Parts: sequence; structure tokens; C-alpha cells
Amino acid sequence: MGKKIKIDPVTRIEGHLSIEVEIEDGKVKDAWSSGTMARGFEALLTGKDPRDASYITSRFCGVCYSVHQMASARALDAAFGAKVPWGGSLIRNLVMGAEFIYDHPLHFYQLTALDYIDIMAIANYSGKDKELLAVKDKILSLVKSKDTYPLTPRYEPDEFTVKDPDTVISAVKHYLKALKMHAHARNMGAIWGGRTPHYQNIVVGGVTSYPDINQVARFRTMLDEQKKFIEEIYIPDVLTFGTGPLWPLAQMGVGGGHYNYLSYGGLEKDAEGKELVFPAGVIVGLDPANIKVSPVDQNMISESVHYAWYKEKEPVHPYNGEQVFNLDKKGAYTFIKAPRYNGKPMEVGPLARMIVAGNKDVMGLVEKGAKPGAVARHAARAVETKLVVDACYKWLDQLMTEMTKPGFKIHDTDHWEPPDSGMGAGFYEPPRGALGHWIKIKDKKIENYQAIVPSTWNASPRCENGVRGQYEESLIGAPVPDPKNPINVVRVIRSFDPCLACAVHIIDPKTNEIHKFIIE
Amino acid sequence: MKGERKLNKNFMKIFEAHGINRRDFLKYCSATAALFGLSELDFTTRFAHAVETASSKPPVIWLEGQDCAGCTISFLGISNPPVASIILDKISLRYHETAMAASGYQAEEAYSETMKKGGYVLIVEGSVPSADDRYCMIGGRPFRKILEEAAKNAAAIIAVGACATYGGIPAATPTKGIGLNKALPGKTVINLPTCPVHPDHIAGTVLYFLTTGKVPELDTIGRPTMYFREVIHDNCRRRAHFDAGQFLTDWNDPKQRDWCMLQKGCKGPITTSDCPVRRWNNGINFCIDCGAVCMGCAEPGFYAQMTPLYTAESETSKKILAMREAGMFKKKA
Repeated sequence: MGKKIKIDPVTRIEGHLSIEVEIEDGKVKDAWSSGTMARGFEALLTGKDPRDASYITSRFCGVCYSVHQMASARALDAAFGAKVPWGGSLIRNLVMGAEFIYDHPLHFYQLTALDYIDIMAIANYSGKDKELLAVKDKILSLVKSKDTYPLTPRYEPDEFTVKDPDTVISAVKHYLKALKMHAHARNMGAIWGGRTPHYQNIVVGGVTSYPDINQVARFRTMLDEQKKFIEEIYIPDVLTFGTGPLWPLAQMGVGGGHYNYLSYGGLEKDAEGKELVFPAGVIVGLDPANIKVSPVDQNMISESVHYAWYKEKEPVHPYNGEQVFNLDKKGAYTFIKAPRYNGKPMEVGPLARMIVAGNKDVMGLVEKGAKPGAVARHAARAVETKLVVDACYKWLDQLMTEMTKPGFKIHDTDHWEPPDSGMGAGFYEPPRGALGHWIKIKDKKIENYQAIVPSTWNASPRCENGVRGQYEESLIGAPVPDPKNPINVVRVIRSFDPCLACAVHIIDPKTNEIHKFIIE
Repeated sequence: MKGERKLNKNFMKIFEAHGINRRDFLKYCSATAALFGLSELDFTTRFAHAVETASSKPPVIWLEGQDCAGCTISFLGISNPPVASIILDKISLRYHETAMAASGYQAEEAYSETMKKGGYVLIVEGSVPSADDRYCMIGGRPFRKILEEAAKNAAAIIAVGACATYGGIPAATPTKGIGLNKALPGKTVINLPTCPVHPDHIAGTVLYFLTTGKVPELDTIGRPTMYFREVIHDNCRRRAHFDAGQFLTDWNDPKQRDWCMLQKGCKGPITTSDCPVRRWNNGINFCIDCGAVCMGCAEPGFYAQMTPLYTAESETSKKILAMREAGMFKKKA
């Protein structure tokens, strides 16, 4: 039996996550992923006016805010029989585009970069660039004052850590720049979304924000600034890291996992939804030399609760999902259910989307020898940000055409009142991956509400057959030469951009006994 | 008081050295209102002690309970002053799950060292599950216990967002989330509700406290009056349409674009916040200006008394309609 270590809390992610790994011969032998917080939103929604769902579910998560509002609105659209006018869809797409543009760079710079750079290498910068010297002064002044929070404490740099002073200092400069750009991207979304986090304008049937021409111009100007940052700073930084100092990690494929990928498909390029920014598809057991993509059939989705704190039940489709909580269940170790597609665990998110799409930039890296894993995930995230930027320009052009036509609409007012009964599913591809909401309506009220969010797929525990979830599997084999410094574990986990608050849904406490789930 | 004069001098010296001057502060938190009603509070002395004995920058612990990190993200979007200058130059952010470099035991150590020394500003995001501690565990310990412990040695406690203040949405779930008003009975807590918190409200409150060593004037439910003073309705640009009885029924109709949204469930008439004046995202917009209704997220009744959100049938909307009927919304002279 190897040595077990536990990282709790895993920070620089959204939500409360605990990761436990067993280490043998300097490598991860086994792993357990545990979500440690629950709120019970779906239970709250039962019996409510269905229209509340889009507003409430937005609060699943404040980092990837409003993606649930979007998926929920789509589920409601289906259940209400509402047809969103193309003008409404365009505004939905644009505010969600702004969300992508804010979210991906934030993940790279603010949430994960510190795992890959030795920030103290800045002290050795010997160049003369004024801006970089200002960055050096800032960091040195923190060091001199003996207060470098929140940049330290940290895991110790290892052989993969970038220590070249010029590279590190420019990364830190961009870390600071990215903070500004993130605020600007959010301002862009607020033009129609009202404010961020949590847009206010997405409702069943469309949007509430009737656009004017100046808003379109304003959005476009702000988008220009983002495009420049993404093309000239974000993407080059990711590629410099990925194909430079991190290339060995990329070649080793640290963080690979099951090599099963799922994308529901999303972000329509035209009114009929014929062409999508992210195509739909499923890949089981990726063979890069012979990629087989199958169409998605949502009936193949089921959720297992065997290792989660819920009353034991056979795996079922989310329409029939049950929400009975059991905090004392033996063997259970997480609040996260285990979704499976045709019985198999899946990875969802940027890497899954880019592989399913056969994106040439990402597949080009694979051909050069990068294995799909932690480093490839960062590359896929950067590559797809550019796809979303390009789509935003097209949506702006389409909106201008649309809004100057007589009878321009943003909302299906005829289907605003809830139906007596109905059911609907809403799918979306937000930044972190495949998202589905399912609603059943009875007597104009919500009868059942279920969501399977991206981090439920990725952070899932074992299913009833003992097959690990994607985080767990992706940790197997990760090098951890020093159990006190498990930096590769957090690199792998953070490469998924975990979002735990939304991954946890519950239910009804039956007992108040304290469950012992700390295994030391 | 002699002691106090000395104290304030020390404060200003420390803060000026870190770029916080009165101008920063005044620019930031609505000058005139900020100077009113400075109440004397017991932790003034404790905080002064802390900054003199601990590091040069005031330590901050930011805890997350049953949250969505939306308040963190909201705060990170502040541009004036830039968030990087707040985090790196003005405060010493010792513990913040979403922002800190450390993980696992290092994170827990940074927290417990700061906690033992005391004198920090404690910012809390997210509610506390009152149905069962196990609904929110961090580092293997109940969030409730961590919060109670952190509150003991704090110089000031700020609850941010609807969940941490009065329970918010989690209050209506089976986990029975409660805000700090119930989780920390008897403690002075500065409440900054709204879902999420407004970044200006956090930054201004923290700067106010660090500059003066005092808690800003609070209303009866713990909200700083410099931000929570007037109902949204009184500053709403759709107000004339409310008075004229013109209510929006169709979002597609350009004629109705600026009409009052009472029939769509707007809770602006009973919600106290400076949203229409301060606006959001650096002044770009706010809920009502994107055609969405005010959900009353600055009020303790959010969400239970606000549902159904998009009709005039909620408990709150019925109250508003009755008040309108009784002529209680006459424009002030």
C-alpha cells in the first residue's frame, strides 16, 4: 500500500474540492475526488414557478455565471414550446461569448499560471524594459516587506517549473494585464446582460434587453480590445509555455485520463442552428491516428449514486433523477454524482470540444507528439477562445441586419405563461464543457429539476462498477516524487478548470450524525 | 481622547505608506455620505494593536461557505482602484480559496497563523448550512466552526452578498443556509447584500474601515447607509411611467422599452440600494436598464418572499401593489 495524501482544500478553483491520492514509487497509484459542499438548488425549485429556474440556476456558479441561466432557459423554451426569435438568440450568444472571453484567460493567468512559474525568478531579471522593471520592483518590494501573500506559500517549484526570468516576468506582467482585460470583458457582457456576475436578461423565450445601434458599436469596440489581447498575448503565452518549457509534461501526457470525450454541441452560427461553433459528438477511447466521432444521444446519459451521499439507486436518466440524501452511506465519499454516457465516464470541456471538432491547431500539437492531458487542455482552451471571438463579430453583423428589419423581435411573448404540464431538456457548451438541464412541469409548477454540469462529469466519483471518474483517472501515473510537494496533482486538477459549487446538488437531510470521511 | 488621536495618526502613517490616502478613499466611497455617523466601536483599539504588531499591510481573511464565488468574481472586476493594487499593495490577503497560491495544508497553515494573531478584516461569502454541518466542509472541518473561530479574533467582519448577509437563496433550500446575522449572534457584522455583492461596496467599506478604524454608519439591518439609503424606485428612470400607470407587457415593443416593469415582478419599490445611481460594471448598466426586473436581492426577504420572480404575484409584489393602491408612492417634493 502506497502513502496516502490529501489536498483539502484544493484552491484556485470554484468551490470546495478535496483530492486524495495514494502514491507508490513516486507516482499516483490511485485517486479519489470529493465535492465537500452542497446547497440543494434543485430541491428548492420543486413547486416553484418554472420561470424562476433560469434566475436561480445562474447562482449554481458565479465564475461561469449565467451558463446555467442559458441552459435552463433552453430547457424552459422546450417545455413552454417557445421559439426564441433570432434577435433574442443573437443577444444570448453575444453575452455568452463575452463570458467565454472573460473566463478562459482568467483561468490561465489567475487560476493556474502560478502552478507553472517560479515567481521568485523575477529577482534575476536583468533586462531594461521599463514595464518589466516595474513588475520586478513590485514583486521585490513584497519580498522585502516579508509579506508576499497571496502569492505564497506555495508548492515548491519542480523540474517542470518555468524559471527563466524573462519568461516569468513577462507572464507576471500579463497576469496583471489579464486582470484588467477580465474586467473589461465583463463590462462588455453587461451591455445587454445588465451586470456581471449573473446576467439578468436571459429569460424563457429570449431576452429582456432591446438593443440599440450604439450598444452594438460599443460591444464591437470592446471586442476589438479583447481580440488584440487574445491574439497577441493570451494565445502566444499558452503556446510559448506549452511547446517550450512544458513540452516534456505535454509529451508525457500527464493528466490524460480515460480518453473519452463528449460535446453536446453549441453556439449557433445561423438562425436554423445548422452550423455550430462547437460541433456535437462522442469519442470513446481516443486513437489519434483513427478518430471516430459518434453522434450524441441524450438517452444514453445516466447518473450513478453508488459512491455519493445519496440514497442507493440504480443509475437512471436525469429526467427520473431522485434526490434523497444519505450522509451516512458506507463507502460514499462525495456530494457529486457519477454521470456516465452509455455506461462510460467522459471528459467534457475545451479539450473534448476541440478533439471532437478535429480542430487543426489542437490536433497539430497532438501530431507533433503532445498527448491529450493537462497541457493540451490549456492549449485547447486558448484556441477555442479565438473561435468564440470570431463568432462574436459574425453575431454582431447579424444583429445589425436583424434589428434594422421591421418587426424585429427579441422575445417569444406568446409563450411567456407556463404550460399546465410539459417537459424539456436544455443543452449548452459553456466554457467548462457539456451542460444539460432537465425540467418537468406539472400544474404550471416545477415537478422535477435536474442538472448535469461539466464538473459533475469531470469530478465524478467511481460508478457502481468501480470505474473511476475523469479527475481520478487522469491523476493515475502523475509524478509525485515528494509527497509533501504534490504540485503535479494540482496541475492536473486545475487543468480542468474545476467548478464545484455547480457540481453538487441535493436533497433532504435524514440524520444529524457526523459522518467520518477523513481518511489519513 | 488622547489615545485615539495617537491611534489615528498611526493609522494614517501606515496607510499613506501603502498608497491609501484620503483622496483615494473619498473618490471611492461617495464622499459626503461617508463622513456621516462614524460610530465608536470597540474593535478600533484591537485593530490598531493588530497593525502595529503584525505586518505592515492589514491582513484580510476571506472565507467561502455555501457560495458560488460570484462575490469573489464581482470584486475581481473592480477597475478603480485596480484590483491588483488592492490585493498586492493595500491589503495582505492571507486566505482566499479562489485567489491564493497555496493549497491543502499550506492554505490551512496560512489561515490558522493569521487567525491566531488576530486583528484581521474577516470577509465572508456564502451562507452557513444550519440543517447539518456536513453540507459545507473545508479541510475536513465544518464551515460553521471555522467561521465562529475566525470571528473571535477579527477586527471587523464584513458579510458580502445575499447568502452571507441574510441567507439568500440557500436559505430556501433543504440545507437551510443562514447568514451571519444568525450564525454569529451578538457580533457586529457589516452587511453588504445584493447578489452578487457590488465591488464598490466591498472596496469602499474596507477602505473606510482601514482609513478610519471605524465601522461606517449602518442601518437597522447592518447595511452601510452610504450605499443603502434610498429605495431603487426613488431613483429609477422608469419612475414617471410607474406614476403614469404605464407598465411593460411586451419586451419586443420599442414604445414600451422604458416603461415600468411592476407587472413583470419588479421589486424596486421596496428594495434599498444605490444600484440605479452607482450602476454596475464600472457604470455600464444595471438590472433594470437591461429590461430585467429588480429581484430585491438587497433585502433579507430574498429569495423566499420574492418568488415567483417574474410576475406580480409574490408576497412582495402584492405588498407593493397594496402600497400603490394606498397612495404610498407619491413623489417626494
